[in-house]
Amino acid sequence: MPCAIELRGVQVAYDDTVVVPDANLSIAAGKVTMLIGPNGCGKSTTLKAIARINPLRKGEVFLHGESVAGMSQRALARKLAVLPQSPAVPEGINVRDLVAYGRFPYRKPLGGLSKEDHEVIDWAMRRTGVEALAERRVDELSGGQRQRVWIALTLAQKADVMLFDEPTTYLDISHQIEVLELLRRLNREEGATVVVVIHELNLAAKYADHIVGMRAGKVAFEGAPCDVFNEANLRALYDIEPEILRDPARGYPVCIDYARVESANPVVCA
Amino acid sequence: MRLLSCAGVGARSWLPGVVVVAVFLAAVCVSLMVGSYTMTPGEVVATLMGQGSKLQNFAVLQTRLPRTVLAFLVGTALAFSGGILQGVTRNPLAEPGMIGINAGAALAVVLWISAQTSAYYSQLDLFASVGMPVVAAMGALLSTGLVYGLSHNHGIRPVRFILTGIGVNGGILAIITYFQLAMSKGSYNQVLTWTNGSLWGSSWTYIALVAPLILAVVAIVLAKAPSLDALALGDELACGIGVNVSRQRAAFVVLAALLAAFATAVAGSIAFLGLLGPQIARRLVGPRARVMLPMAAVVSSVILVVADTVARNAFSPIEIPVGVVVAVIGVPYFIYLMIKER
Repeated sequence: MPCAIELRGVQVAYDDTVVVPDANLSIAAGKVTMLIGPNGCGKSTTLKAIARINPLRKGEVFLHGESVAGMSQRALARKLAVLPQSPAVPEGINVRDLVAYGRFPYRKPLGGLSKEDHEVIDWAMRRTGVEALAERRVDELSGGQRQRVWIALTLAQKADVMLFDEPTTYLDISHQIEVLELLRRLNREEGATVVVVIHELNLAAKYADHIVGMRAGKVAFEGAPCDVFNEANLRALYDIEPEILRDPARGYPVCIDYARVESANPVVCA
Repeated sequence: MRLLSCAGVGARSWLPGVVVVAVFLAAVCVSLMVGSYTMTPGEVVATLMGQGSKLQNFAVLQTRLPRTVLAFLVGTALAFSGGILQGVTRNPLAEPGMIGINAGAALAVVLWISAQTSAYYSQLDLFASVGMPVVAAMGALLSTGLVYGLSHNHGIRPVRFILTGIGVNGGILAIITYFQLAMSKGSYNQVLTWTNGSLWGSSWTYIALVAPLILAVVAIVLAKAPSLDALALGDELACGIGVNVSRQRAAFVVLAALLAAFATAVAGSIAFLGLLGPQIARRLVGPRARVMLPMAAVVSSVILVVADTVARNAFSPIEIPVGVVVAVIGVPYFIYLMIKER
């Protein structure tokens, strides 16, 4: 299977704290890969290392076989788009102008937006269902709408690899599903490689083609949800005592209980 | 829909621009008219066309016009500097006077003046007037470098940058005060105009020196403006869309420091101007740097031209520091704008 992203011996550190000691990971092209793991396990850090937001202390990241280290930031932004966890909304900006930032890596030094840029912006807004909001101010939108606007910006970069850092955090369950459905549709219909850092285990099991479990900066397990989303792996990852069933209609695994390993006080409903 | 919105944006950005430029021209006209020898608008225009009497020529061409042109240059430089710093730090209150850039330039000039043996108010010779912007620029860059270095810890965090700047600003002002206390009365007065801002020494020589420098930096900033806008998305997303964040931020801080230095070199340290222009401009035309910064330049120039006219004439023949007038007339207007917005 062709590999979109490959990490070889990647080490990332903040100051003197090594967060990711030695990550080796291959992410398949054209798939939805989701990174799960406890807080501080290095999944966001790994994502940012791929996008070159965090500098590497050791190792290398390859994008379609080409080392990322030698690329300019702009060249990288045309191949790989990243949506960080909490980007800032410029004061008073409207949806269309915000999405237009996705064309930044394509702009000429003095030129404005080209006809093609406008077409891509329109397409990105249409794809994410925010075209009706084009003239609205972003700071007036709801959380779910705003997240779709950020995804439109990411999409407008026309990169075939897209990284999303906890895109569902702060959203209610229906908007979480809306965002993940959207990402999977973009993956299926545009052929984009999608990498998502996510905390909601059941959504990961449902929407991912491939799950990577990380703990203490290392890859603990990886594989298809049906193969790796099991009691033993989740226990090792989170120190919980999970109970897992299969969705009756479609067969993906569902975690129905997360009792702590040492918890001894089960609540029994009448 | 797009056409409509473009027309809307166009109307929104053109009307305030026309109004502010008209106000600017009116302010320039008044500044050329009034003084110890007051003229009519017709006389001013005639003098500018080269048909003035000897007295009129002296009043307008040698005394008032250079001040007004310099006010425009200084207003432009400080507005750009403040607008850049607000963008880079993502803090609407940042301005060169607050984070030690003006103070660094002023301290360098104070040291320079202290080192000169020349008598009070002696005509600054060419060496001194060429040296002044250079010395001020070095002072500003040194203090900016100090702030940058002290706040740099695996990258620059905007809040730490500003807090460090405020600290360095306080320290430098204290050093300036110390030097002032040890100075003769004449040097003290000369330095006072630097620390509070004044256009008193303006001449065509100064303008010829700083105009090319200021305009060159302004042109560079306008060319790089989209990167400044992109920094408003936060470091991570800016990086994700292809901005080399640390390099661009350092470049913009240096450009802002240079502009503040050139302005301080010829007009002393004028507080608030770098804050007021961009803030008012942002309310008039929105945050896009390529539109906002030129607008801010004109707004700051209006404020400075008006303030200088007041400073020259309100207590004539005594001249009050223009920085004081900027604060007195600019700040209430700014507060009014903020109250109106709620």
